[in-house]
Amino acid sequence: MTYIEVDGLTKRFGDTVAIDDVSFEVPAGEFVIVLGVSGSGKSTLLRTLSGLLSPTEGEIRIDGDAMLGPRPEVAMIFQQHNIIGDMTAYSNSLSGGVHRAGFLSSVLQLQDTPEKHRALDALDTVGLLSEAEQKARSMSGGQQQRVGIARALVQQPNVLLADEPVASLDPGSAQSVMEYLQTASDDRDLTTFCSLHQVNIARKFGHRFIGLRDGEKVFDGYRDELTIDVIDDLYGDIDTEGMFVRDDDDDDAATDEVATT
Amino acid sequence: MTTDTTDSDGTSESGAVGVGDGADVPDRIAEQFENIKRTRRRRAFGWLGLAAFLAFATLQAFAATELLNPDARLETFVESLTGFFPITDYFGVIPFLDIGQYTSFIRQENLLYDPDIGGLLFQFPPNPTDIYAFFFQELGIFQIFGEAGITLAMGFVGTILGFPFALIFGTLGSERVTPFPFNFLFRGTMSFIRAIPAIIWTLIFIPFLGLGPASAAIAIAFDTIGNLGRLFVDELEEIEDGPIEAMRTTGASKPQIVFFGMLSQVRTGFIAWTLYIFEINVRAAVTVGVIGAGGLGYVLTSQQNLLRFTEMMATLLAIFLLIISVELFSQRLRSRLRSDDVEMSLWELITGFPRRMVNSAMK
Repeated sequence: MTYIEVDGLTKRFGDTVAIDDVSFEVPAGEFVIVLGVSGSGKSTLLRTLSGLLSPTEGEIRIDGDAMLGPRPEVAMIFQQHNIIGDMTAYSNSLSGGVHRAGFLSSVLQLQDTPEKHRALDALDTVGLLSEAEQKARSMSGGQQQRVGIARALVQQPNVLLADEPVASLDPGSAQSVMEYLQTASDDRDLTTFCSLHQVNIARKFGHRFIGLRDGEKVFDGYRDELTIDVIDDLYGDIDTEGMFVRDDDDDDAATDEVATT
Repeated sequence: MTTDTTDSDGTSESGAVGVGDGADVPDRIAEQFENIKRTRRRRAFGWLGLAAFLAFATLQAFAATELLNPDARLETFVESLTGFFPITDYFGVIPFLDIGQYTSFIRQENLLYDPDIGGLLFQFPPNPTDIYAFFFQELGIFQIFGEAGITLAMGFVGTILGFPFALIFGTLGSERVTPFPFNFLFRGTMSFIRAIPAIIWTLIFIPFLGLGPASAAIAIAFDTIGNLGRLFVDELEEIEDGPIEAMRTTGASKPQIVFFGMLSQVRTGFIAWTLYIFEINVRAAVTVGVIGAGGLGYVLTSQQNLLRFTEMMATLLAIFLLIISVELFSQRLRSRLRSDDVEMSLWELITGFPRRMVNSAMK
């Protein structure tokens, strides 16, 4: 069943074309990874999907309804995590569900107990339950990103968009954040969009891949179709050798090909 | 300025000669060098012109303020200064500043401490009825400090009453909250309030509440809306877009986006600015006292009217003490808020004070 439908999506900023006539369909529950170099339109695609930007042309339909603005059922995780440093991990997590509460009750944190349990459950999912009362500002980058995931989960979305969630993290934290993201997505059966530029991480976690180059969709396929030629095409002249090196538990043909060359 | 120009031109010229070995400097270098020389000369003329204009304008301003032929009375001034600083000859020979005259006036007029109210609190053995009376019947926390307490209370009430309005006006005045032309409704209101100093607002409120601390406190509260609200607007200009976008994607309502995405970013900033405005308000409370609203300012002006300069100086000392204590308190609190350190408990704040003093003295 098609859950997300992108039809002829074009986004221009003045004369710059960020996304050029991109169309695809994603069934519910897929884990999609958007690949491409910086400036290829990954961020714009995700921000348009989230409703933060509106398309110049074309249409995005999620669950049959056109995206005209941000919706509670579409949650987003940002590269700079964008959580509130002055609040605790728990308060940040709780702030994901404010659309279900009135202004005063959300400001004074007077949500009902199930809602508060939900916030703690989300923190538990990302392994931060015992750090719930820590100020977000005092946490490490990886932990802050996990708080961002928790906030998105409390929103109770059907779609999870992650805009380069691990780009500013060290390899270890990047790995663990991606694992938490995958767990969350599997447990709650979310349709997930994650933009990445680390090919090795992408191959490890991805299910389906969409490749962008200069705003155009140049690849759309599943794991076994993502060969080294596709990567070369996406990343152009950049030396892609060694991009698979850390991917040692993967005995895909493409990996062997790289290893032997 | 002109000397400077020739100087540096000379050095760069000799430098160019050193590099180019005489006349065969490439044209593009010579050309660029000429360009720079011309720019520098133009700039020097510009500065000279500006300095001349400033000197001319200053002269006119001197004329307007009657400083060109002032009606100076040096003897009277020196005489008043001796009134400010009463000299007593100790043992009949050693001249010494008679501090006793200050302290006796400060005690006599209850400038810093009111023994009637303080007596309820400080007695041995402590009397629970009196302590209860001190806090809940006499409401003595401010009044124990006598006239200084009244001044402090005016600044405090002004800050507390002004804060919520400053918060509302400051937030709504921000372009990110209210779209462009409409935010000027709030910014304009704040500009208007700021244009009129607190002392004038007191004059305006006298028909409403009479000449006294009440109208002064309300006037300071009004003034706070303008000043603090403006600082809030400025603080809100510098926030990051990220958290706002993040709150938008959660599907939060507009007020929720403002609170969680914007105000939560500037919370410490707002508290720090409020403390700063509290400092300013206590100073303003002294000045509004001068027109008769009470507190230290009123004592000061009444002594001045009686030409009792020693008593005036004693009042000035009390004002100095009050302002310095408020500033010390507020600055310590602000620097603690601004720093990301782990917060100290109140107990540690008090007991650790000597050690921290020694530490900073050793630096």
